[in-house]
Amino acid sequence: ISLADSGAKVHVVARGHAATHWTSGGLDVAAPTGSPTSALGIERLAARQGHPYAILGDGARAAISAWRTSLMPEGLEYLGDLEDPLRAIPTAIGGTRRAAILPSAQAGALRPWGRGERLLVCGPAGFKDFWPDAIVASLRRPAVWGMDPGDDARPSTIDALVVDLPGLAGRHNLSALDLARLFDDARWRVDALERISRAIERSGAAGAGGRIALPAVLGLADHAAAFDDAVRILPLAPFEVPLVSPSIPGLRLYTALRAALRRRGGRIDIGEPVAAITVDRRRVTSVTLAAAVRERVIRADSLVLATGGIAGGGLVGRADGRLEEVLLDLPVEGPPAGEWLAADPFDPDGHPIETAGIRTDKDLRPVAQDGVIVLENVVVVGSLLAGQRYLSERCGDGVAIASGHRAAATIANAGARGAPQPVQPTAARP
Amino acid sequence: MTIQDVIREASLTEVGLSADECLKCNVCNTVCPVARVTDLFPGPKYVGPQAQRFRLATTLPPQSGSLQILASADATVDYCSGCGWCTIACPADVKVAEINNRARASMKAGHRPRFRDWLLGQTDLVGRLGVAFSPLANWSLRNRPIRWLIEQTIGIHRRAPLPAFARRTLRSRLGRSHAALMGGGGSIPEPPPDRAVVLFHGCAANYYEPHVAEAAIAVLRRNGFETIVPEQVCCGLPRISNGLYASARGRAEKNLGSLADYARRGYRIVGTSTSCTHTLKAEYREMLDLDDDDARAVAGATWDICEFLLDLHEQGLLDVGFGRLEATLPYHAPCQLRGHGIGLPALDLFALVPGLDAVDLDHDCCGVAGTYGLKKEKYDIAMAVGEPLFRRLRETDAPRVACDSETCRWQIEQATSMPVKHPIEFLAEAYAAGPHGASPRAARDDPARRP
Repeated sequence: ISLADSGAKVHVVARGHAATHWTSGGLDVAAPTGSPTSALGIERLAARQGHPYAILGDGARAAISAWRTSLMPEGLEYLGDLEDPLRAIPTAIGGTRRAAILPSAQAGALRPWGRGERLLVCGPAGFKDFWPDAIVASLRRPAVWGMDPGDDARPSTIDALVVDLPGLAGRHNLSALDLARLFDDARWRVDALERISRAIERSGAAGAGGRIALPAVLGLADHAAAFDDAVRILPLAPFEVPLVSPSIPGLRLYTALRAALRRRGGRIDIGEPVAAITVDRRRVTSVTLAAAVRERVIRADSLVLATGGIAGGGLVGRADGRLEEVLLDLPVEGPPAGEWLAADPFDPDGHPIETAGIRTDKDLRPVAQDGVIVLENVVVVGSLLAGQRYLSERCGDGVAIASGHRAAATIANAGARGAPQPVQPTAARP
Repeated sequence: MTIQDVIREASLTEVGLSADECLKCNVCNTVCPVARVTDLFPGPKYVGPQAQRFRLATTLPPQSGSLQILASADATVDYCSGCGWCTIACPADVKVAEINNRARASMKAGHRPRFRDWLLGQTDLVGRLGVAFSPLANWSLRNRPIRWLIEQTIGIHRRAPLPAFARRTLRSRLGRSHAALMGGGGSIPEPPPDRAVVLFHGCAANYYEPHVAEAAIAVLRRNGFETIVPEQVCCGLPRISNGLYASARGRAEKNLGSLADYARRGYRIVGTSTSCTHTLKAEYREMLDLDDDDARAVAGATWDICEFLLDLHEQGLLDVGFGRLEATLPYHAPCQLRGHGIGLPALDLFALVPGLDAVDLDHDCCGVAGTYGLKKEKYDIAMAVGEPLFRRLRETDAPRVACDSETCRWQIEQATSMPVKHPIEFLAEAYAAGPHGASPRAARDDPARRP
């Protein structure tokens, strides 16, 4: 999106959908253990030798701000800030995770809990991905909310409520997608929300005030209106709790990002893996996609490599201990084979292999061990960057956004220095 | 027999093997247009890779020991429309749609096909008869009581989009007009492969829309290519879609026998039907296990017409002397085109036409999916799948719509009453409106136009 804003013709190619469809929709910017805010988390991670934030930290704030601004016209608003305290919010399995910046429909979980404030966990009957009774049983344990949670860190009382939603009695294999699409239907959702409202009244929870946690299924295409209806109709303040994949907040995010890029003339082609990348004199000149037959060649002046790390498929570990970057065979920085895994499978710091990735200069161009730039017009972004443990550091989204922004600046600056413009055939309007 | 043997036997094909890559992430379910509108289809994951492990035993020989030979693990696979979006969206390269198609075929194997499904597979037979008796056939297809009777007896929905038959077949028209070289025994020598292409016209252009192929022939001639039209039969896709694999294989072998020699001599095989060309490119191998030299040669030589023209353009060989077509043109990219993996070449070509404001409708599927939406029990599903597309078109004031696939065109026309044309028709029109009119201009002979 930043690249398209700078005037470049942007063509996104991917073998399939993935990260967005699995994400919670919230922004993990930086939440290493002990950091009270994302801003301090960035500072702490930036101080770690070799961490992506060491080169990206300064630009993270502007990048996240620009990213949020670009999503607003697509109907996706995020609340919270880098300075806001990272607070424990409930998950769909009755645990908590620390967050500070969330889509507006989830952000209700971030507000400090008032004295005596109640949380009602409510789900539709027959929905296998959200079990209110089990979630509540777990959330009632104070330790779930942190080692020594303060008064405002958790609700005073937590109760479960299961509601039969219209037309779903006895329904098998109900999925989050089914529910989200039902919530797109204005008439159905008003009926459903009124049923939930009546069930709350009957349970006696309405008068006490408080909040209601609902599975993140409040609409896909018409999400904003669905959430507004929930706020209007329910007697408690609602917030969504993201579920296992396919993640409805993740789908909303993908839809908004795709719309934002297409609005700027960008193209997105999903479904054909990259078969080859042509390199000439340390510059990528084209990307070849596998097609039904032959191949499809996309010429390009610059390449943004966003293929993911060891979990995303951008890196593979070979049985002989080699770590390979799959598309360009870039030099990979990572622990030696014998040290890929921590002794404790559940080590809170994760496993050393997570830090494997591509080392870059400050402009995100890949460099070899001696610091020499390997390919001049390639920039590396996201979890493929070496030195991060995004699972334990909770920095994956922040690094992705900050590196995307930096990548766009690198390419725009190269263009300004006189590099030839892309020679793609004309792009059609979205 | 060990479990490894079982898996090996069941997974010998690329399609079967791909199920092993499934992460169970549900991404395929998010893009399925059918599951979006009906509970009758639980989604591609469940009937595809998830049910596939229960189907392992179905491929085992009866003497394989204690394993029970199972029927299809989930009969709802019959509600898969075969649009292919699940395969496109899968991040793990699982051939979800192809697994589903094979599962449906194996579910139906050994049973006599339903007459309706058999009939929908016989597009060439139906086409021949329809053209021969076109006045009567077309009257019948427009006659409501007759359509009601067809629905009650055969099971083709009374409002399903059945196109009108042409008065003469394309082959017959070309034989008269000499606009193309009819292969297979003609006395005129064929130009070399850099001056001619082979046309795979498919059933749609031959029996229903000869003007589409004629527009392609005119555009090709404008760019210095003669068109050779060899003997050919239905590509077989309607048979594949209706589980008639053996019969489809017979069609495929006939086509390969006719086309492979051209492919080996370097001719490119061009088609105006995205589904036929996709069948030649991919489905003979993936669905019918035809992977010999002939099949590979034909697959490698086959091009969608817009893909071919865009390739010419990228080489600097396309005549871009288009006249102005002052219009907003909504464009629907068919599912089968996505399966080609060639992007949306029609949009790139439209961008070369002055005044033509092509707008990508960006909708996944019109619903019809070949013959799927014609069936009585699936018609409502197909219409619901396409409804957002139809609604958007009804709200535009554009006079015409563009779409590469014939069955999608017919479906959209039926649902919206708007005329829907193949992109090649707009290109032919733009050439005709240009400074040189429709006359051939051997762009490739102009040294200045060579790259």
